[in-house]
Amino acid sequence: MANIRRKPTITSYVPGTILFLFALISIIITIGIAVILIRESYLFFNDPEVDLWGFLTGKQWQPMINKFGILPLLNATFTTSIIAMMLGIPVGLCVAVYLSEYASDKTRAILKPVLEVLAGIPTIVYGYFALTFMTPMLRGIFGEGVVEIYNTASAGLVIGILVLPMIATMAEDAIGSVPKELRLAAYALGGTKLETTFKVIIPAALSGLSATFLLSLSRAIGETMIVALAAGAGPKLTANPFEAAETITGYIVRISGGDVSYNSVDYNSIFALGLVLFVITFTLNLVSRKISQKFHQEYD
Amino acid sequence: MAWLKIIHFSFYRNTFLTFYIYRKCKTTSTEESMKKIVVLILTLLVISSLSAGGKQEASVTAANQDEKNLSWMEGPSVHGLPGVNPLKVTGNIITAGSSTVFPLSERMAERFKDEGYGGTITIDSIGSGAGFERFTVAGETDIANASRGIKQSEIEAAHEIGRDPIEFRVGTDALAVTVSKENTFLKNVTLEELAQIFGAAARWSDVNPDWPNQPIQRFIPGTDSGTFDYFAEEVFNKQVEPLLSASNVQLSEDDNILVQGIKGSPYAIGFFGYAYYAENADSLNIVAIEGVEASAENVDNNSYPLARPLYIYSDATILQNKPQVAAFINFYLSYVNEEVVDVGYFPANEEAIERGRAAWLKAMGL
Repeated sequence: MANIRRKPTITSYVPGTILFLFALISIIITIGIAVILIRESYLFFNDPEVDLWGFLTGKQWQPMINKFGILPLLNATFTTSIIAMMLGIPVGLCVAVYLSEYASDKTRAILKPVLEVLAGIPTIVYGYFALTFMTPMLRGIFGEGVVEIYNTASAGLVIGILVLPMIATMAEDAIGSVPKELRLAAYALGGTKLETTFKVIIPAALSGLSATFLLSLSRAIGETMIVALAAGAGPKLTANPFEAAETITGYIVRISGGDVSYNSVDYNSIFALGLVLFVITFTLNLVSRKISQKFHQEYD
Repeated sequence: MAWLKIIHFSFYRNTFLTFYIYRKCKTTSTEESMKKIVVLILTLLVISSLSAGGKQEASVTAANQDEKNLSWMEGPSVHGLPGVNPLKVTGNIITAGSSTVFPLSERMAERFKDEGYGGTITIDSIGSGAGFERFTVAGETDIANASRGIKQSEIEAAHEIGRDPIEFRVGTDALAVTVSKENTFLKNVTLEELAQIFGAAARWSDVNPDWPNQPIQRFIPGTDSGTFDYFAEEVFNKQVEPLLSASNVQLSEDDNILVQGIKGSPYAIGFFGYAYYAENADSLNIVAIEGVEASAENVDNNSYPLARPLYIYSDATILQNKPQVAAFINFYLSYVNEEVVDVGYFPANEEAIERGRAAWLKAMGL
């Protein structure tokens, strides 16, 4: 086939170059953040009261009185994130399947923008939604004696709602990129729509879907405003999601909101916690990229 | 468009913008979307540079207005201070500090504005310690609000940046220990019981066998708060360990979060400035300390054990260079007693306020 594209001129490189510079900025910012986090955390770990092993395994977190165990914060972070995933993944996946396999063009045209509106709500609004709607609802269901006013369950459920549009949109992309031949082959073998969807399409899209879930998990772990408002303001190591507990991000926002003194161990501790968060979410993002790359190779 | 997808993935922040770019790139041809993005970015750049230019102009005019002038001194003198005409006061005032003093300063600022002041007063409610930090180390604020006296170390820090803090007494707070209205067993505590409740005891029955066998849920002001310092000083002999290592303790610089938490359970307890109790008296009960209730009378005759002074701090150089700050503090000291009860605190005795007025006159060289 003859090449009918216009020969590239100098000006046609301009947009590419400009956009490359913008992409470069994002890389520089990422490196800058990592450098600052590492430098300030070094100050924290250099403090004679702090040792790395105690930091990773300690069961109490109160830097003011030299208790530096990250477990209570980490535990609360994972509690809220896992609850969020328990809501977000099944619902998000169902929405994605419905949108890509079942919905008529008309319902799609309504449902997609509504989902996008959900994605545009500021997280502070979600935070108050958790505090003034989700918590009273949970207390109504399970009893006021069981559910504390600040609790990780309420925050987790609302984070689940927050990541729902993200999961739905990206899962829909993953399902949509399954080759048409697979679908047709399944139908040709006599599969019903339901069988085709759940036995052929979803397994085929699984690596794309797992990448989606990992990314939304890292979003849930980093979520701040909702947990700061609804999850509680005191570090506590508990397995009960109806009790108050403070997450890593919740602690960071509480301490920095109070304008702590520079060079105090409280101040340096928030950078160490930031570094932990950075490592967790960075790893999750890398893993999900690896998974989705693998998935693209399979069908190319 | 693989890289755009990466950016979309890693910088997903729920914004319409990312969504817009991402979807556009997926649905339209590459070149067209490139053009659109370039136009979008250029528009953003133009808008941001325009707004930056606007800001610069504003700061220049503000600087002109900051020139020393005392034209605001008008009208009859009040309690020995020159009269203030807020209409003639210009320029902004920056204050930060105690969340206990915050409602009072906010009320005085509102009244100052109602009477004609056209500038902006920033009042950050960040805790006394943090307020002093901004006033004495960073030197960002004109006034520090505090629910405790300034420490020697903070005075020294201020000297290092050429500031000499002046103390103005503005009122008295009766620190309120409160429980939910649903709590039926706690009406009165001794200071020893208070130390157990906020310290080592895990359950109410550990403190007093007549009380329920339920975990104590504690809601206390954050460690940067003057209220926290004051409580540790009065109840725990300046020890903070017992307060912080207690189980089920939640800390916040935001007293409204504490109020919400205490309201939430009959087994919750907390403490904060009296004004926050007064504001929520329909859902909270205040606990008497050693049989003494927090009332104007008991605060006046010093029998309430947790009564404490409220202050604002500034500096002579600031007062002289920023007439708006001098005018505001003058206004504050002149009328605070008319507002303080309504805000939920108690008037300081006249002698203490008078010392502040004398300090103001001295700082202004009048």
